[in-house]
Amino acid sequence: MASFRHNIASWGVNIAIAFTALGTNLMRSILTTLGVMIGVFSVILAVAIGAGAQVSVTDSISALGSNMAIIVPEPDSEGPRRQTDRGRLTERDIRAIEKQVTGITGAASQLRTSVQMVAGGRNATTLASGVTPAYAVVSNLNVDDGRFINDGDVNSGARVMLIGQTVATKLFGDFDPVGETVRVNNVPFTVIGLLESKGSSFGNDNDDTILIPLKTMRQRLIENAQSGPDDIHLAFIGFDDEEALTNGQKEIKALLRDRYRIPKGKISPFTVRTTTEIAEVTGQVTGIFQAVLVAIASISLLVGGIGIMNIMLVSVTERTREIGLRMALGAKRSDIRNQFLVEAAVLCIIGGGIGLLLAKGAALAFEAYADFPAPISLPVAIGAIIFSALIGLAFGGYPAVRASRLSPIEALRSE
Amino acid sequence: MTPLLETRNLVKDFTIGGEILHAVNGVSLTINNGEFVAIMGTSGSGKSTFMNMIGCLDVPTSGTLMLDGVDTKSLSNDELAAIRNQKIGFVFQQFNLLARTSALDNVAVPLIYAGVPRAERLRLAEEKLIKMGLGDRLFNSPAKLSGGQQQRVAIARALVTNPLMLLADEPTGALDTQTSLDIMSVFQSLNDQGITVILVTHEPDIAEYAARRVLFRDGKVIDDAPVKNRKRLAVHG
Repeated sequence: MASFRHNIASWGVNIAIAFTALGTNLMRSILTTLGVMIGVFSVILAVAIGAGAQVSVTDSISALGSNMAIIVPEPDSEGPRRQTDRGRLTERDIRAIEKQVTGITGAASQLRTSVQMVAGGRNATTLASGVTPAYAVVSNLNVDDGRFINDGDVNSGARVMLIGQTVATKLFGDFDPVGETVRVNNVPFTVIGLLESKGSSFGNDNDDTILIPLKTMRQRLIENAQSGPDDIHLAFIGFDDEEALTNGQKEIKALLRDRYRIPKGKISPFTVRTTTEIAEVTGQVTGIFQAVLVAIASISLLVGGIGIMNIMLVSVTERTREIGLRMALGAKRSDIRNQFLVEAAVLCIIGGGIGLLLAKGAALAFEAYADFPAPISLPVAIGAIIFSALIGLAFGGYPAVRASRLSPIEALRSE
Repeated sequence: MTPLLETRNLVKDFTIGGEILHAVNGVSLTINNGEFVAIMGTSGSGKSTFMNMIGCLDVPTSGTLMLDGVDTKSLSNDELAAIRNQKIGFVFQQFNLLARTSALDNVAVPLIYAGVPRAERLRLAEEKLIKMGLGDRLFNSPAKLSGGQQQRVAIARALVTNPLMLLADEPTGALDTQTSLDIMSVFQSLNDQGITVILVTHEPDIAEYAARRVLFRDGKVIDDAPVKNRKRLAVHG
């Protein structure tokens, strides 16, 4: 009990001694702390950015639409691939899929092309998509104002368009774009609806787009159709649930191979990916990204820790006489050891605390200016402070033990 | 009665450049409670090495050191630290006060290692400083005190755990003549109150204020006798 009280008393004293000692060499203490500060700052920021990337990936995928298969007319890269392999995908393929594959909620063919737009003296460029009404269902699109493209628009090749928020702002500012006319590659289109914002995915602004009927795009905006009159650039197939998606992916592959009469062992001229696969792959990639980021940041923390050890060794050497005096006055080895451990820990906790605050500031700046989430959770913040203290104990350990092993009389005699 | 301090054939060897130097070479000495002993000798006579051993700052090469009836040979590092803390009060030539630390906090340092709570530490430290005539200098740092005042702070610190003896190593070595006398009067006054004082000095004048003089030469005691015509100083406060 006495020993316990003694320990409590001496911890308080040690913290006071630590602050006095650190204050005595204020500049040196600040510079040393800087190392740990930068280390903790970079580790926390790395963790936050990594976590942000995970969040962003999850958001991106749900923005694409869930339980969805994406078909592109590119030779499937999973096999040996030759230069001469050409991709193929047509509207008729998609109609066949819609009829024959089970568990489908919708099948949306799409063409894409870059366009120049002019409206009321303002202009903008964007990637336009030629779509069918099924696209709204498959990729969870909502219209803020106006209406979506309907079958009539597609069949008649109507010159109508839906406009994304970013494009609307570029062309119309705060004005309501619905009902206005936009010249797309010099063809006048009427805006029939404003798309609901979908944020950004993988750094792409999902609102920087316009949608026009598939047939209209084929007739008016795709210039020399090298490809067949029925070719499309990609298709989205929506499924009821994940199980239907997994089975559907196989069925689609089998169906298309059959339609194109691809013999066994030859690669397909199309690729079918699912949102589940994309989520897995990007999840792995961001996981690796986060690990690499944290590993690099940890190096700076290690350097910071070595700085602590270095300065604590200097401090012990400078204060050898003080150590001798304290021993003469009754300090045990453990008292001296604890004194220097506390000093190193205080230095690290201050550095870690400031590093944490700076990281929080940087994370907020990231969110505000780069539109990238960088969440710092409470466990991460608390962990950072505890980890800082542990760095102090780890790197302050050797100097502290060295101080405690000094012979009282030799320490006292040192100059 | 158990003597306060008893050495039997105490030896301390140092190896310097491959040669063994017998700094203390078989010293047997007994000091009783309440004595005022001056240990005299020239530089290199072994008096300081002897002092360090009886202060438990250094361990003998051989021989026996009994402190307050306890053989120090069997004690651990921590037990030796506790003896330094509880039974011995050190006074040094260079005062050895902590810089940028108030007189009060300096005096309280030994109580930290005794496990005394802060409020009690400060109360006891203040009491000793007042006794040393420094009641109005409690919060001065060493830089703001004269040499004599610093040594008084150091004496207050040595006394704060109520030790069995004061060990003073050349306590007047860094002071002018008048201040030296002042400090000697403090020691005499403390000794009159029953505190054992052992001081190491190379100045014969200073030794004349002690009651017993032990003379060292070449690591041995060559003379040990009461001081004839002992000088007394007017007792302060």
